[in-house]
Amino acid sequence: MREGVEMTDFPRKTGKHEIRKDAWNKASGKAKYTADIPVENLKIGLIVRSPHHFARIQDIDKKPALEIPGVLAVLTSDDIPGEKLFGSLVPDQPSLAQDLVRHLGEPVALIIADTKKAAGLAQDVIKISYEPLTPVFDPILAAAPEAPQLHPDGNIITELNLGDGNIKQGFEEADHILEDTFDLPRISPGYMEPETSLAIWEEDQTITVWVSSQHPFTDQGFIAAALALPIEQVRVKSGVIGGAFGGKEDSSLSILAALGAWSIKGAVRLVNNRRESFLAHPKRHPAQIRYKLGAKNDGTFTAMEAEVYMDTGAYASYGPAVAMILTETLAGSYRIPNVKVRTALVYTNSPLSGAMRGFGSPQSHFAVESMVDKMAEELGMDSILIRKKNILNPGDKMFTGVTLNETANSLPLCLEEAQQVINQLKVIKPAPGKKAGIGFALAAQSMGLGANVPDDSTHRLEWAPNGKVLIHLGSPDLGQGLAMAAEIITAERLGLSFEDVECLELDTLETPNGNVTCASRMTYMVGNALLDASEKMIQELLIQAGTLLDLPASELQYQEGRVIKPDGTEVPAVEFIARLAEESITLTSESTFSFPYPEDTTPQDLPIGMPHVLYCYGGQVARVEVDPELGTVEVTHFTAIHDVGKIISLPGVEGQIEGGVATGIGYALYETMLRKDDQWVDGFTEYLLPTANDLPLHYENIILEVPEASGPYGAKGIGEITLVPTAPAIANAVFDAVKVRVYKLPITPERVLGFIQ
Amino acid sequence: MKEISLDFILNGEKTSLISSPNRTLLDVLREDLGLTGAKDACGGEGECGACTVLLNGKPVNACLVFIGQVAGMKITTIEGLIEKGEFHPLQRAFVEVGAVQCGYCTPGAILSAKALLDENPHPTDQEIRNGLSGNLCRCTGYNKMIEAVHLVEGRG
Repeated sequence: MREGVEMTDFPRKTGKHEIRKDAWNKASGKAKYTADIPVENLKIGLIVRSPHHFARIQDIDKKPALEIPGVLAVLTSDDIPGEKLFGSLVPDQPSLAQDLVRHLGEPVALIIADTKKAAGLAQDVIKISYEPLTPVFDPILAAAPEAPQLHPDGNIITELNLGDGNIKQGFEEADHILEDTFDLPRISPGYMEPETSLAIWEEDQTITVWVSSQHPFTDQGFIAAALALPIEQVRVKSGVIGGAFGGKEDSSLSILAALGAWSIKGAVRLVNNRRESFLAHPKRHPAQIRYKLGAKNDGTFTAMEAEVYMDTGAYASYGPAVAMILTETLAGSYRIPNVKVRTALVYTNSPLSGAMRGFGSPQSHFAVESMVDKMAEELGMDSILIRKKNILNPGDKMFTGVTLNETANSLPLCLEEAQQVINQLKVIKPAPGKKAGIGFALAAQSMGLGANVPDDSTHRLEWAPNGKVLIHLGSPDLGQGLAMAAEIITAERLGLSFEDVECLELDTLETPNGNVTCASRMTYMVGNALLDASEKMIQELLIQAGTLLDLPASELQYQEGRVIKPDGTEVPAVEFIARLAEESITLTSESTFSFPYPEDTTPQDLPIGMPHVLYCYGGQVARVEVDPELGTVEVTHFTAIHDVGKIISLPGVEGQIEGGVATGIGYALYETMLRKDDQWVDGFTEYLLPTANDLPLHYENIILEVPEASGPYGAKGIGEITLVPTAPAIANAVFDAVKVRVYKLPITPERVLGFIQ
Repeated sequence: MKEISLDFILNGEKTSLISSPNRTLLDVLREDLGLTGAKDACGGEGECGACTVLLNGKPVNACLVFIGQVAGMKITTIEGLIEKGEFHPLQRAFVEVGAVQCGYCTPGAILSAKALLDENPHPTDQEIRNGLSGNLCRCTGYNKMIEAVHLVEGRG
């Protein structure tokens, strides 16, 4: 926490440094992730995956696989009794391939066996014959009418055309016009826990499925549809989740685990190994962004035009929604009066792209923030000054028509903080033979699912007879610490200690539906719902206490776990809870918070899911040292400046920022899922996640608190924005060091040396 | 492969089992011994460090060690760091500073840190980074892990 930042007295009771409760089990190896749950008579599921990028399945001969001792079932699409396709936005993805395989690694058959060995042998001998088809990987080629068609309605899933003002006039008013094309790579969310699911068919004809999922209720719906079961017969529980970062918004193996368990009427677990995981889970969309920016001599932006092609791979996944945020953020945090943008989301024969932390913003911001820097260079202006001149202020309209609220006041604060950091960094001399550079980038990242998308989040409180308040948290904690945030906010409102409040693991049978954990909005949604639920529970407590005391509730007051009688005497609330328990009455309270889309800030003439109206803001400063001989880039200093509305948990906020920056540095310098020798890079030997040695030695967080009026205690999101400005800040620093502008990520030594441009 | 009988010291206790010698230590820990603190995050390729355990005090990827190789050796897993109900100072420090998020890499990272501190009780920042560089983490950016190790070396 930076000194001098004004703090209010929240949280009073809980403090900002609470230790998250799940950490103890995780640090001692006791936490049960889905792959760790012990089960009697567990059978192994293994997936037979397509060896082709694109092919027609001619024949599947299960017999050789079924003859392997210990093999219990070999299942194909024909064995799925219900819906054979799934998909959260577009139901285009087969659980098991039907007549076509559209990407390498697509599931074709599912083997269930007693042992891993038997399943592995069956995987080797199953006979599947394919007629290979010509694949297409480039989204621009795939968008052409003569391209091989992956789906009946063509390869372009979504085309967004947005604009504002008069683009022709805007560029006529410009004294300088710059145009470049930016090329963003396919990257993996890179969570450490690969996809896994455990399903148990119960004797009462129900099925219980453990998932590692951002929304177990989505899995529940998909499983019920695939197995043609009433939804009440499908119970989905959340194991401890080993990270998700967007990659577990789609159903991960749960449908196939359930199919296996249903088929053998037993228990089946599926675990992807890392190679399967790379091919199966959604990646950040590769994008090609042609970007044109016009400015006057004084630095005022007059016009922006962009054309974007996004590669969503073989299936839509969350691509259509990612396309919206990418498109909406193409003007970054800037006031540009004349805008024209076109985005095409295209099917290709690549593994699917979908949700990943940042959800389109890292791509758009790399283009915007590189271009703004380039314009400053062109005009001979300071890069902070050109941003100051053009940033959006509260009350300004984005080109989507959204009016920004007062929290946009944090944008100039970010710039002021950045200026101070830059001044300090300027005096540091580079190591001998190295060239130093400093770069900055600004970012705005939306919260919420977008206008007109149902976004209700329901959570329940229960005051247990032992005095503990239990939170039936309707959205899973993916590891980021959502449960801690929920506990702090609830404890604060009820005036209890952090230890008195505890989240329970999600179980669709017991837990209300809190909606999918995503979109930088969980502290906001969960916090608001729990504040209201706490309020209602206090009222209910006073009513029940009044009945027991023979007093009207209106004469009683609640304060920090105590009921205060009209004569001033106090009774611990837990005494009433215990007495009610004797009468089998449990005090519970459930509340739903709906993401607000105020009419005055929400234009109505956009597709469903647009626009996004609430924004998080931040900026990051990178200092790099470049070796001009080798082209290597070392990030020596890094400062992340973020407005969080209000800190609920300081370690939680810092953890989000530091982890996000690390992922952003990976995007900038190391990560890309290439196709080499006709195979995808699918392991951590070639796909380089940053290690402890790859990150800056000098690191600082500057956390700003500009309260969001609609947020719980003023809090807003921090999950995604943390990695949005990172790559352009580093690219701008590299330019500052060696005057090489890199348009294609990652910034490899070859690209820095200018061999590849 | 023919099964053999093996003896080793697991978390301070004499342990005997019968196994094919070419199974990995990771599989035996997780499947036969119920010790699921060591994780598999890379598919048994030795790329991620999530299955790190200590073999005679040295950190190894349990996915790259055959069970046949550990006969007579001392194995320490994350479960073995708790002594008489007390968390190891590194476990406590990781938890207290907020170095644990999703937790999947945590057991391996703590064991790497233990091996480091056992050999070098007062490591520099760079030595800690080197010591943790075999343990991939996507959540934390490693800063708080490094802070946790410093906290313990400072206390020691």
